[in-house]
Amino acid sequence: MTSASYSQAHLEQLGRRDFFGRMSSGVPAIALASLLARDEVALGKESHEAVSNHEDLSERSPHFPGKAKAVIQLFMNGGPSQMDLFDPKPELDRLHGKPGPARIKADLSSPHNARGLLRSPFKFAKHGESGQDISDVLPHLHKHADDIAIIRSMKAKHFNHEPALYLIHSGKTQPGLPTIGAWSVYALGTVNQNLPAYVVLDDPNGLPVNGTQSWQPGYLPPIFQGTRLRATGTPILNLRPSKAIPEGVVETERALLRKFDRRHLNQRPLEKELSARMASYELAARMQLSATDALDLSQESEKTREEYGLNAKDDMASYGRRCLMARRLVERGVRYVQIFIEGQIWDSHSTLEKGLRRAARKTDQPVSALLTDLKRRGLWDDVLVVWNGEFGRLPVAELAKGADISMAGRDHGPSAFSLWMAGAGIKGGTVYGATDEIGHRSVENVVSVHDFHATVLHLLGLNHRDVFYTQPTQRRDRLTDEFPTRVVKEILV
Amino acid sequence: MRSISVGRGFSVFGLVGVCLALSVSIHAETAPTPTFEADILPLFKARCFKCHGEKKRRADLDLRTIEAVLNGGENGRAIVPGASKDSLLFELIVSEEMPPKEPLAADEIALVRRWIDSGARSVTQQDDSAGQVTEHDILPIFQNRCVICHGKRRQEGDLDLRTRESILRGGKSGPAIVLGKPDEGLLIKRVLAGDMPPVDQQLNLSVRPVTKGEIEEIKEWIKNGAPESPSSYYEIVRGPDRLVTEEDRKFWFFQPPRQPPVPTVKHAELVSNPIDAFLLEKLETVELSYSPQADRATLLRRLTFDLTGLPPTPYEVDDFLRDDSPHAYEKAVRRLLASPRYGERWGAYWLDAAGYADSEGKRSADPFRPQSWRYRDYVVRSFNRDQTYDEFLVEQIAGDELVDYKGRKELNQHEIEKIVATGFLRQAPDGTGSGPVNFLPERWEVISDELEVLCTTVMATTITCAKCHSHKYDPIPQRDYYSLASVFRSALDPHDWFPPTRRYLDLTTPEERRAREEVNRQIDQRIAKLEEALEKVAAPLREKLLAERVAAIPESIRDDVRRAVTKPAPERDEVQKYLAKKFAEVFEIKNENLAEKYPEFKEAADKNSQKLQAAAGERLKRPQIRALFELGGEPSPAYILSRGNPLLPGRLVEPKPLAVFSDPAHPYTVEKPWGHDGATGRRLAFAKWLTRPNHPATARVIVNRLWHHHFGRGIVETLGNFGHTGSPPTHPKLLDWLAVEFEARGQSLKEFHRLIVSSTAYRQRSLLTSEHELRDPKNELLSRMRLRRLDAESIRDSILEVAGRLDATRFGPAAPVEIRDDNVVASETERGGRRSIYIQHRRLRMLTMLDTFDRPQFSPNCLSRRQSIVVSQALALMNGEVVRRNARHFAQRVIAAVGDDVERQVDSAYKLALSRAPGDDERELAVRTIQTLRDDWLAELVAAIGTGDAAGTEPENNGHEAALRALTSVCHTLFNSAEFVFID
Repeated sequence: MTSASYSQAHLEQLGRRDFFGRMSSGVPAIALASLLARDEVALGKESHEAVSNHEDLSERSPHFPGKAKAVIQLFMNGGPSQMDLFDPKPELDRLHGKPGPARIKADLSSPHNARGLLRSPFKFAKHGESGQDISDVLPHLHKHADDIAIIRSMKAKHFNHEPALYLIHSGKTQPGLPTIGAWSVYALGTVNQNLPAYVVLDDPNGLPVNGTQSWQPGYLPPIFQGTRLRATGTPILNLRPSKAIPEGVVETERALLRKFDRRHLNQRPLEKELSARMASYELAARMQLSATDALDLSQESEKTREEYGLNAKDDMASYGRRCLMARRLVERGVRYVQIFIEGQIWDSHSTLEKGLRRAARKTDQPVSALLTDLKRRGLWDDVLVVWNGEFGRLPVAELAKGADISMAGRDHGPSAFSLWMAGAGIKGGTVYGATDEIGHRSVENVVSVHDFHATVLHLLGLNHRDVFYTQPTQRRDRLTDEFPTRVVKEILV
Repeated sequence: MRSISVGRGFSVFGLVGVCLALSVSIHAETAPTPTFEADILPLFKARCFKCHGEKKRRADLDLRTIEAVLNGGENGRAIVPGASKDSLLFELIVSEEMPPKEPLAADEIALVRRWIDSGARSVTQQDDSAGQVTEHDILPIFQNRCVICHGKRRQEGDLDLRTRESILRGGKSGPAIVLGKPDEGLLIKRVLAGDMPPVDQQLNLSVRPVTKGEIEEIKEWIKNGAPESPSSYYEIVRGPDRLVTEEDRKFWFFQPPRQPPVPTVKHAELVSNPIDAFLLEKLETVELSYSPQADRATLLRRLTFDLTGLPPTPYEVDDFLRDDSPHAYEKAVRRLLASPRYGERWGAYWLDAAGYADSEGKRSADPFRPQSWRYRDYVVRSFNRDQTYDEFLVEQIAGDELVDYKGRKELNQHEIEKIVATGFLRQAPDGTGSGPVNFLPERWEVISDELEVLCTTVMATTITCAKCHSHKYDPIPQRDYYSLASVFRSALDPHDWFPPTRRYLDLTTPEERRAREEVNRQIDQRIAKLEEALEKVAAPLREKLLAERVAAIPESIRDDVRRAVTKPAPERDEVQKYLAKKFAEVFEIKNENLAEKYPEFKEAADKNSQKLQAAAGERLKRPQIRALFELGGEPSPAYILSRGNPLLPGRLVEPKPLAVFSDPAHPYTVEKPWGHDGATGRRLAFAKWLTRPNHPATARVIVNRLWHHHFGRGIVETLGNFGHTGSPPTHPKLLDWLAVEFEARGQSLKEFHRLIVSSTAYRQRSLLTSEHELRDPKNELLSRMRLRRLDAESIRDSILEVAGRLDATRFGPAAPVEIRDDNVVASETERGGRRSIYIQHRRLRMLTMLDTFDRPQFSPNCLSRRQSIVVSQALALMNGEVVRRNARHFAQRVIAAVGDDVERQVDSAYKLALSRAPGDDERELAVRTIQTLRDDWLAELVAAIGTGDAAGTEPENNGHEAALRALTSVCHTLFNSAEFVFID
């Protein structure tokens, strides 16, 4: 049968889809698919796949009622050492100084400095009613033992920071892909249109490894990129005009710009960057009103400020400020807040004990204050708090030949790490998964980075398989592009 | 692998070792001692020869004969007979890293272990010297620890530890070593005693003590009679290359480009030049074609921004639109390429690639580089005079070797420029200016950054991974990394290191010297006059004070004292000498003494000293060049560093460029350019090798980058990586056609720009349609021009230009920046602000405006900028003080040009900012806005009379001010508009 056997009228009656459906041969499949796709475009948005691609930040319903409305991610750059914080290993005390198993070799990034097994310099005790194991280097967290759920069986894929960071933020070990914060606001939009949906509170001392790549939108529209707010000075540069200009004038200018840009966009309707730019101007205008208020920590009581460590003389104060800002931001409807730390304070290649004490000193009290504060202000059931790094560390010592044992550190450990979550939807006091007897590898109920991502999305009310971006080629890309991926339901209420 | 008798502390692998040892010892009772030929060779043959045999020789390791095994590979010794625990080969086998996919079985591993531990026997082995410690295991230890004082520049105690011969010769205090008697020589004694290297000087000299393992190794060497390295040691380096094979070179990028025939296309009428034929050929395969040509105003705006980084003036726009000759476009291209702004635009791209900065970075102090600007100026000038690309490269890589400047203090300007050009490989972040971080690892960081700049920029090759191990994807063995580093070792020698403050050459032209001396002579005259004037005030007061002081001397000796002091010193008798000495202070009256005593003098002196200081500050200093230059003499020998660790030297390498790009017809041949030891010629030979005709990388890489800047995307998208992990070219034939054409047309960049901008492809409109979205979503096929946001510099510069506030001053020291309201802004003078390329670019004090619009902090360089859209950009343009202030200048400029007629003001503002007249709807909207705002402002100003904000008490002034402020709002909005920052 060929098309010649149909009259033109007949064809039109049939409709093209029908027509192609009846054809059994003669047209190559690829050409067919492309013709069909073009038809769908011509039909308009409704049948076009691209309708699932969000382009703005308006609030969207989740796939099901999620427990969490917002996320605060306390990102602990460098690879916090699981066996010194959350995963006690008495075997390491016993085998201290003995050679480690050969399989560790594969995980070493500095093999020439690898030495024998190294016990933890810290003591562990059981805390809370649940008897959660937390080492004595995080004393403030002890009182939240029953609030947090610890996953001890995380697994990364790469022993270098850069790829591991890409993985933990965007699901693959390569740069240029959307981060979980970008995905969250892409899927859900945001409640408060006057503040950025996805806020990054980076360390005033400097950017983390991979810099701004850690909060980029990748192939998602640029509007889903994280917005950096500064923790010192004016929180946002140029938030207001440097000279007072009557509000009426500013408003007139804004209206004029909107008309100019709308006209420009109408002539180039498909350019996403132009609509993203217009949206960024709208946001800028609204932020002027609300960001100043949101980030004004002087509105907090002296007691709160003290609790967060704002009066500390060292850099605990700066971390505390960011934790407190994070609370104020989620309170006002910001969807995703990430707190970063300069460089890699958890990257304990040497002087393990000193290094971890320093990292704990900077973060432990503010983090604990944040948890207390979220509860006190009734935000506990709405906000998910995530504490994690990009990988863990090895049970063997890292030490230059001939150096003193007090200089010993631990090399990167991609095969196991611990993280914890608390707040919305989390079953506090839980411990999930386990590593081997020396904490080298996750062996029981192993949780992949994709599982972790799926769990966070789940808590936000999202089926991770249904959060995707349709590329112009019609390929759907996801954060959790790996099988099998599962939600870690065991830590959920 | 160098530890001999020193254990590895508690080895990670020991545990397995223990288990194996147990099982082996059971066998050992019965099994005969294994030999290489009977037991090991069959195993290696089956499992290892594929990569370590005749055809391939990964890591330079050949496992076919016992000699070759003992000789080891690029990481040094593979086995240590008798000590499997110290044998790299065994370590890799037992950790199951080798063979890579399928590890050996447990009994096979046990066999290898038993063989090594029983002395690595061989039936044919006659020469028991193979595998022992030889000179090249030892020399690197001295290089790391000792040669700073016992080497090229200094030979403390007449001792030189650089070569075996010089070590055997010993020093002033006697022989350094006694052959066969490791404990007797002075060298070991002093090292063991902790005298050497001297503890108190280690930090100053940036050396660390000799380790126990190293001492043992040195002793072993001495015990065996300090053997030389066998001739086979050098064969691997000098013999035929087994690490990079013909097979490896088959990948497109490693083959020289060949110019393909220009394809024929269906729509030949769309072909303006061959570029279009190549592009159309592909477009037609997906049933696409070019978009229609952009309208002429859009085209001129695109072209002007593209070639100069700034908008066309209204005059230029009108001129172009009026000119309906067929050559109008061509004429515009010629005009723009001849503009000095061209070099400022395209030079800036090159400076990104070089990683240009005015500071060292790495530390929070971020030390300033005061002379960096001379390299920037060199680049701008080179682009403007259309220096050929090959010459441009040769000068930047080896300009100092083109001019025998040593022994001459004065050169002509042309020669000086060649030396300034070497600033190219002086741009990397550098922390070695501070003692505690000037050790070998930090120096290697700098070297490795410079090599990365070089390789990504001119060869689009990623080599940094080969610092620690052979490249996993491209045929770049670790050997080649260190061979390339060795090419640059005559200038970047980790063992003869010039910290940042000492990288200057004092070279000047006679004209410059004369001009400087003349300026300084005048300043000196001014200084002399000032001193004279002060002296006039001082003289009478000094007399007065002296009289007072003399009067205080007891009368009985007063005259004697006076006589003694006034008499010339040699003529004084003993008594007079005594008196003169005792009363010297009385007669010595300094200006401070006068200032203490006489307030009138203090006032005059203070005023004078300010003037003196100012004048002294104006004296011109000798200009210095921050150059990469030959250090002189023989560079230190270069070894492969195992895992990139300077303390784990492997095999000796020779200076050579990357083997994968080598061509037997154009060998890398080093000759001393001046015939004496002042320069080695290594870099010059490299530069010639790089710029030889039809090099696989050189032309392809530059044409691709130029293409990227014109179209917003390279033919190879990954500009700095054309290797296996880079993206494949979208139009391979076009890339090769362009590369060959570029060389054939004489390597002129301007000629190349002309070729590109005259294509139909370049002149298309930018409108994105749903058809495009479907078939060419990323615009890889160039079915349209790409809508592009201006880069950071163009945004800032255009605002100044449109406001009439762009200070056209070119070249010279970096223009200062200041911090205002947390913003880092460029200082402005009454002439306005300088172009961004001339502003100081300190790594930790980046201009906020540029930072906000994606100018990266280079570490070490950037070939392609990211373009983000974030709220901070909107805030910067809306609320930034610089933009607001320049909007007012813009409005003043408009009023000065067209007067009070609001419609004409709007027309003029549009022309200036957007290179077009407003549409009727736009004009009406703008006019209405201005009228409303003007009335509001007037009311506001009148109400504010007397409060300080009023423009003046005259109502007319208020009227002017209100009109200006109203127009300022429209001008400010134009600066913010999408059309201002996006180019079609």
